[in-house]
Amino acid sequence: MATQIKSQSLTDRSESFKWSMVIDLDRCTGCEACVIACQAENNVPVNESSAFTEGRAIEWIRVERYWEGEWPDIKARFIPVLCQHCENAPCEPVCPVYATYHNNDGLNVQIYNRCVGTRYCGNNCPYHARSFNYWEPVWPVDLRHQLNPDVTVRSRGVMEKCSMCVQRIRRNTRSKTPRQVPDGSFDPACVQACPTSAMTFGNLNDPESKVSKLQNDERSYHMFEHLGTAPTVMYLKQVDTHGA
Amino acid sequence: MYYRRTLTEAQINQQLLGTVLTTPLWWIVLVSLLGIVIAGVVGVVAWMFNQGLGVTGLRQPVFWGFFITNFIFWVGISHAGVMISAILRLSQAEWRRPMVRAAETMTVFALMASLTMPLVHAGRPWRIFYWVFPYDWARGIWPDVRSPLVWDPIAITTYLTSSMLFVYTALIPDLAIIRDRSTGWRKSVYGVLSLGWHGNPRQWKLQGFAGILLSALILPVFVSVHSIVSWDFSVSLVPSWHVTIFAPYFVIGAVHSGVSAVVTLMIIMRKLYKLENFIWEEHIDALARLLIVVAMAWMFLFWLDLVFALWLKEEQEITVWMLRMFEPPWSWLFFLFFMFSFVIPVPLWMFRRVRRSFTWMLWTSLIVNIGMFLERFLIIVPALMRKGPQTFTYATYRPSPVEFTIIFGTIALVCFFLLVFSKFFPLIPLWEIKEGQLLIDEVKVGNARVPALVKEH
Amino acid sequence: MAHDEHAAPTVPTHQEIASDIMAKFQNINQSYWRWVSLLAVLFAAGVVGFVIKLMAGFDDRSEWGYYVATLSFLASTFLAMPVISAGLRLAKANWRRPLTRLTENMAITGVLIWFMLIPALIALPDTEGRLSVWFDFPHWMSFRGGNLMVWGTVVLIGLFLLWTLALPDLAAVRDHMPKSPRGKVARVLSLGWTGNTRQWRVLHSGVLLFGAFYLLLYPTLQTLLQADFQAGLLPGMKDAIAPATALINALQGAVAMTLVVMFIMRRFGGYERYFGIDQFWALSKPLLAFSLLWFYFWWGSFITFWYGRQPGETALIQFLILDSYRIPLIFSFLFNFIGPLVALVWNPVRRSIWGPTIVGVGVLFGALINHIRWYVAPFSVLDPPEGKDWPHVATLMSFEDAIPAGQLPGIADVLIIVGGIAGAFLLFMLINKIIPVVSMWEVGEGLRLVKVRRYLARYAMVIAKSH
Repeated sequence: MATQIKSQSLTDRSESFKWSMVIDLDRCTGCEACVIACQAENNVPVNESSAFTEGRAIEWIRVERYWEGEWPDIKARFIPVLCQHCENAPCEPVCPVYATYHNNDGLNVQIYNRCVGTRYCGNNCPYHARSFNYWEPVWPVDLRHQLNPDVTVRSRGVMEKCSMCVQRIRRNTRSKTPRQVPDGSFDPACVQACPTSAMTFGNLNDPESKVSKLQNDERSYHMFEHLGTAPTVMYLKQVDTHGA
Repeated sequence: MYYRRTLTEAQINQQLLGTVLTTPLWWIVLVSLLGIVIAGVVGVVAWMFNQGLGVTGLRQPVFWGFFITNFIFWVGISHAGVMISAILRLSQAEWRRPMVRAAETMTVFALMASLTMPLVHAGRPWRIFYWVFPYDWARGIWPDVRSPLVWDPIAITTYLTSSMLFVYTALIPDLAIIRDRSTGWRKSVYGVLSLGWHGNPRQWKLQGFAGILLSALILPVFVSVHSIVSWDFSVSLVPSWHVTIFAPYFVIGAVHSGVSAVVTLMIIMRKLYKLENFIWEEHIDALARLLIVVAMAWMFLFWLDLVFALWLKEEQEITVWMLRMFEPPWSWLFFLFFMFSFVIPVPLWMFRRVRRSFTWMLWTSLIVNIGMFLERFLIIVPALMRKGPQTFTYATYRPSPVEFTIIFGTIALVCFFLLVFSKFFPLIPLWEIKEGQLLIDEVKVGNARVPALVKEH
Repeated sequence: MAHDEHAAPTVPTHQEIASDIMAKFQNINQSYWRWVSLLAVLFAAGVVGFVIKLMAGFDDRSEWGYYVATLSFLASTFLAMPVISAGLRLAKANWRRPLTRLTENMAITGVLIWFMLIPALIALPDTEGRLSVWFDFPHWMSFRGGNLMVWGTVVLIGLFLLWTLALPDLAAVRDHMPKSPRGKVARVLSLGWTGNTRQWRVLHSGVLLFGAFYLLLYPTLQTLLQADFQAGLLPGMKDAIAPATALINALQGAVAMTLVVMFIMRRFGGYERYFGIDQFWALSKPLLAFSLLWFYFWWGSFITFWYGRQPGETALIQFLILDSYRIPLIFSFLFNFIGPLVALVWNPVRRSIWGPTIVGVGVLFGALINHIRWYVAPFSVLDPPEGKDWPHVATLMSFEDAIPAGQLPGIADVLIIVGGIAGAFLLFMLINKIIPVVSMWEVGEGLRLVKVRRYLARYAMVIAKSH
């Protein structure tokens, strides 16, 4: 069971949001619909295969696949990894220009126009959640109309990472109190696209939200908890029905 | 030490000012060549700015590579200046005299070269420029002082400023000598620069006091600069970076690297500028003995680093060290680093014949710096290659031709600056040499005549 | 050796110096016996404290924290003094000559320290399942045998260094007082020294050899102290700089102790002409440097833990710095860093007898407090519960409900601290009457290399530099 996340220091938790995500690894099939949805929603550049071999691919969420066991008992383990929006984020204190900081909604945000590209934040992220624009991103002509106008198009030299679709959060919570935003009324693109509903998104400050209720699940854990980063994203362990 | 070769003041003036008052052909050729190389490298840098950092070998997850290695390398070399001029001045070691100015100017130019590296390696270097000039006060957002990357430029520019002051104050008496020997516009320029120096007792007293004060004040800067650079790594979470030993380890490594660079510089200077009368075997002998002590201290700290890295038996820490020491090609680089930084030079320096041979000292000092460059590289890159237990993210870094070119460009830059400097200012301080000769004496002990020094009281 | 700038300074001959030192050596007066008796009484009190601890047994490790702190303080102050002398000899500093024998005589305290090590090693748990530099070597023997060997070698080499450097003076004692018991001892110890060229060459080779080994082995001793007695008992303690910190702090303590002992010898022993302003002024500079380094090394460790923010690191910061041992740290900060910095920055303070001495006393007090913080803290950490290994990457709270609170000393602890320090000084006082506390031959050699010359309008000392 995961340790409880520290609650925010605001006296009345019902006055603020604390966005969080729960990913159920038992339901995840590794289909990568979340990756595509994120790319479409957030103007992430198209990654050709050379981007992967050169290590320059930009992925705000990626599905890591590990092989376990020997033939014929091989298992594939999938884990979608995105920015964990750590409460004790190691990427935040090392940015010289304050391009990344923790906002009042419990998100770790990246401000593209402040970023000078020193890449220290990328070094310090133990989850490899951050991507750097090594090249100027170029979209094929046909895809340029598909760019989301709510999201900045980043240039070369800038770090980027999952923002929990902060543009959707802003759009759905502008001028509203937490009570006025029902749980599940909107989701980030990855959560929305997931065909098996492996991902859940919601406000941790709302004790009735799905994410709050899942915090005490017996399968729950945080990635690399021993590092003291206090990630907000929570995972639910896969259940193996045929032995360990 | 000095008693066998005493030169007259006229001889000192003529030999040390030779490079300033005349321009040999080799100097013109070398400076032009280096100038062309630097222009080419600037072009490469401009192209890199235009295309993006994709032209380098950097990739996920190795965000820092050759450029940061080079940054640390040049900051390391810059530590020679303080070691030799400040510490040896404060401990009144006579053998420092011919080396002080060359070491200090190498410090200044090495620091300038090192400052180019954070600029060049950043994703948006122009944004750094506009971040600083003018600073955006209106939004109330200050630089994040929690970040070691903010401490770095503060420390390095402090060190650069104080080193430049150091070089300048020590230059003043010599500038006056040049002023007195030139005519026309040169005379006015040197006149302004020499601040009305006439060598009267009051001015000499101030000069001595300034030297000691600057030496003492620059010592904390010397220790803190490379420590701050090392904390770029210590305060991160990367395995094998997050260790407490880095501050003194980097500083001692910097002294090792820097003093070796001074040895290289002195031997090349001696050859190029025909300074056999001023740079003797005794000087490189003394430098080599200093290097032995420094290298021993460095080895102690290296072993502490290794032992305590494995101490907690953390899997990731062990993975990184296994990669460094046992997986080719990193293991070959590690082997070379260890051999070049310590195993080959230090035992050789134990022999008097090696210490007094210019050829041996040139080669051993050069391989020390190759080894120390490799050391910085091996600290930075393998750790990033194996940052976490997610083997899915493991990758290899291979520097690209662009990175090699830019590194080479910084070496050319420092050499270029030193050569240009020598055109306008003597590389060996005339007044230090003359002062040294005044302080030579002889003492009869029994039947032997022992060289002696006059000590200040 | 004081100088009046308006008259030609006089340089004493080495015969004058030798007879003066010999006279002081021969004279064992009431004052001396009073000091020795006082120290013996205090040492006996320390033994009483030790016996009380023995009766409490070794089951509760926290009983032995103050004992280990005392042991470490002694090993870090007294045993570091030969390093000072070796370092100054390496740097060929002429002002070292009067004080080298004083620092080398301190090597005799190694005998007490080595025997004190034995109960400390018994108090340590076996390395099985525990972090250690011995890396799973046979558990019960490895660190006990290894420590005894390394510490023993350091002590032995220190004694050999002292003996080698004392040979000419022992010969002088033998020749000067052949009939007395001390003269007979000197005859045995001086190994037939006659001062011919071959013997001097052997002496210099011996000094080089023993000095080099001492310089190499002493950092090893500090490494083992930190690794076995501190880091190995604190879960999650990964502090690579700690042995280097301990070494630098030991050197600071040694310089301070040298200053304090010189002052005492001036005041009570009549050695003013040897321990003069030159020595105090020259030693004040390394004292200032080591004080700055005290902060620097402490900061290197602190800032890494602070930024790491891992649960193990934050727990250790709470334990050693911010919470349980905050008061000792504040004291050390004041006496080992702030005080020396503020005082010794001023040249008039450095260039005085009182200035460096007072700072030195403060440094020694701060060093003792710091050693208490370093060793009482880990010794107060509980053993893991039955069946559990010592956690590696865990926190202090892995097997305790809370971070242990600071542990105050008991009566026995205070007696041990006082007795240990008194015992070391007692040995020093005793050895001073076997080997003269100022080196006659070294000071004499220095005087032979010094001439006074008229230099411009003044007088200057001309010092020969031989190779």
